[in-house]
Amino acid sequence: MEELVLNLKKQIIEALNLADMTPEDIEDDAPLFGEGLGLDSIDALELIVMMEREYGIRIKDPSAGKEIFKSVNTMAEFVKANRTK
Amino acid sequence: MGEKIVITGAGIVSALGVGKGETAETLLAQRTGVGALQYLRTSHKEFPVGEVKLSDEEMKEMCGIAGEPTTRTSLMGILAMKEALEESGLTAESRPVLVSGTTVGGMDKSERYYLDYLENDSKNAYIRTHDCGATTELIADHFGIFTMVTSISTACSSAANAIELGANLIRSGQTEVAVVGGSECITKFHLNGFNSLMILDREQCRPFDGTRAGLNLGEGASYLVIETESSAKRRGVKIIGQLSGYGNACDAFHQTASSEDGEGAYLAMSKALRMAGLRPEDIDYVNAHGTGTPNNDASESEALKRVFGGRMPMVSSTKGLTGHTTSASGSIEATICLIALQGHFVPGNYGWKTPMESGITPVGENRTGQAMRHIMCNSFGFGGNDSSLIISEYGERG
Amino acid sequence: MGNVDRRRIYIKRATHISIQSPMSESWMREPRLTRESYVRSEDPQFREWLNPMESRRLSNILKRALVTAIKVKRDSGIEQPEAVITGTGLGCIENTELFLNQLCREGEELLKPTYFMQSTHNTVSSLIGINGKIHGYNSTYSHKGVSFDSALMDAIVQMRLGDINNALVTGNDEITPTYFSILKRSGYVGQEGQVPAGEASVAMMLTTDAEDTLCEIEDFKMVYRKENIGEDTLNTAGPVDAILMGLSGERSNDEAYRDIEGKLPKAPILRYKHLFGESYTASGLGVYAAAQMLKEGTVPAVMRVDGGEPIEGVRRIFVVNHSDGREYTFLTMRRAE
Repeated sequence: MEELVLNLKKQIIEALNLADMTPEDIEDDAPLFGEGLGLDSIDALELIVMMEREYGIRIKDPSAGKEIFKSVNTMAEFVKANRTK
Repeated sequence: MGEKIVITGAGIVSALGVGKGETAETLLAQRTGVGALQYLRTSHKEFPVGEVKLSDEEMKEMCGIAGEPTTRTSLMGILAMKEALEESGLTAESRPVLVSGTTVGGMDKSERYYLDYLENDSKNAYIRTHDCGATTELIADHFGIFTMVTSISTACSSAANAIELGANLIRSGQTEVAVVGGSECITKFHLNGFNSLMILDREQCRPFDGTRAGLNLGEGASYLVIETESSAKRRGVKIIGQLSGYGNACDAFHQTASSEDGEGAYLAMSKALRMAGLRPEDIDYVNAHGTGTPNNDASESEALKRVFGGRMPMVSSTKGLTGHTTSASGSIEATICLIALQGHFVPGNYGWKTPMESGITPVGENRTGQAMRHIMCNSFGFGGNDSSLIISEYGERG
Repeated sequence: MGNVDRRRIYIKRATHISIQSPMSESWMREPRLTRESYVRSEDPQFREWLNPMESRRLSNILKRALVTAIKVKRDSGIEQPEAVITGTGLGCIENTELFLNQLCREGEELLKPTYFMQSTHNTVSSLIGINGKIHGYNSTYSHKGVSFDSALMDAIVQMRLGDINNALVTGNDEITPTYFSILKRSGYVGQEGQVPAGEASVAMMLTTDAEDTLCEIEDFKMVYRKENIGEDTLNTAGPVDAILMGLSGERSNDEAYRDIEGKLPKAPILRYKHLFGESYTASGLGVYAAAQMLKEGTVPAVMRVDGGEPIEGVRRIFVVNHSDGREYTFLTMRRAE
């Protein structure tokens, strides 16, 4: 799980062009959208693409992203339960 | 506004057919042009689209164009413009200007030949047809009557803004006659782009419906001939409508989403009303932008409520019939408004069944026998490039 | 411009990011000259202007557009212009190519929404609107080499009509190495003896307020097809101190200027593309350069085609541009009094 969390952070940084950040800057439980990292709806779309590319998970409804992308931890839980690769 | 700006010609090509006659018939029959993909080369067959039911080759033949490099956008543009110029009897003598809106331009060829462009010289002729201006010049040169030509690219409000610039050129005395509108074919590029933004519906789109889940792409072209009233009278041509107001404003909110309160749309509609010297209650019908995406229809509903309050005019989106014709939608829908004005009917909001939460309730079925004076036509583009036009019945005094 | 009340129009401030030192007029004294066929713009330190979270997704053309717009707004003291109008020949071509490449090489799945979202031409103007919360008129022109000229025309028309009192007019084009190779195949850039292909970002604030400006825009005309250039097209009344042309060393481009030389007033010919490069927005840099020369009252010797001395006390410059020899623009600019 720890490895998955670290990988997710690296993938988030890459997918969202967060060039100035390192995985250490992202807390496992901190909100990614709004108050926390300050991501927006386009970032959510990028994360949906990333989930399919990296883990073979297809998210069809963009509004489902709200729950899944709450924090790195919620993403990791979701990946663990749904990954196909 | 000083002298009236009148409309003396209009031409249209879309999924509803070629020409105003066919378009009026399909509108009245509420027969949607949206259906299974037929012409575009793509693997995304799951998305219904509103294609013009003609191949490039068929359109070339109709336009009398043989071998030279061309784009689907320019072919549709030529077909639509031919109708507008003929109706208006416009010739080089009037020294008209052309303002055309497009965003994809020659992308239909670029997406097919991009790797060739990079690797060999086999498709060089199409490199110069890629940009928006090239498409406009291909159309302009087919007719050879224009003394000034330019292209507007504000995504889905391009054609509406082209109408606005043309009218401003007339008001400023730069020209007496302008041919204005837009053209856009469906490309793999923007079908995939809209898909990446997850705003395409896999079913027939349902603007302003509670179950709406996105838009269907469409394609087409439409041009209007606009001129000063005195020019039209001097030329002795029939006046088919009046452009009585327009407004452009920026939502200044987000690159792809509209604000919750529809500020840009509200400002654009308000400006158009102010320019026309009309009160909200003077508007008989609004042809809404109404794309069918959850975001647009909620935002536009909010803006409409802010403008019209408790006196909501009849509203419908015709995108369930045409698909979203993106850069061409402003002029395609302006021409639909002219058809509605002349035919005394409000086209129904095809696909609508269930009211949306706190949204407007559109006109579901066609309403015939509607004598109307003023119609508002909305076009909103990515990045919040919002424009609104007011097309009015022409009257000597009015 | 026709019969409308002639409200006077001024360029209050103007700046650029190009081959020359960014957002500076040092080219007037220390111009950079190069023999390369393709030179990318020298960028300023974007971090000094944009916060990293805001700019992380933006391609270079968008960062340049934002920074030049912010600088011009700040320098002119007009934070909320009544219009934002942009010209761009190719739009955001880097993102367009990134999306095209994915599409052509990887197929129609898993495409990056950011590339698409920032590929459209109007991304530039709308981003300036979003960044500054500017709700006024907002539009974008994309018509080859007269894209910037079209944006300028829109602003001038609305100002003459009295619809607006100021406008932020910008021009932006970028060229990636791959798109340079494509345009070279088409014969547009990279030709023998031609100035380098360049990138161009230019922003200028137009106002009807005469106070503290760079120069006045006296007249503007745009004509499609040279046979339509009539006697009444060119406002040549009064003395013209210099004529600025987009000469580039490329045969057909230069010929298109020579074709109409007989219709122009007699004055020393100036060029600017050897300093600023060839691009669809090059004419915007020409207008910028003319405005700065009028402000300083000096034409540097490097601008003169005949290799003559600097021209001092310059008061009126005629700027001629064309696109593919098909569409011409004529701009008369005058030193502000």
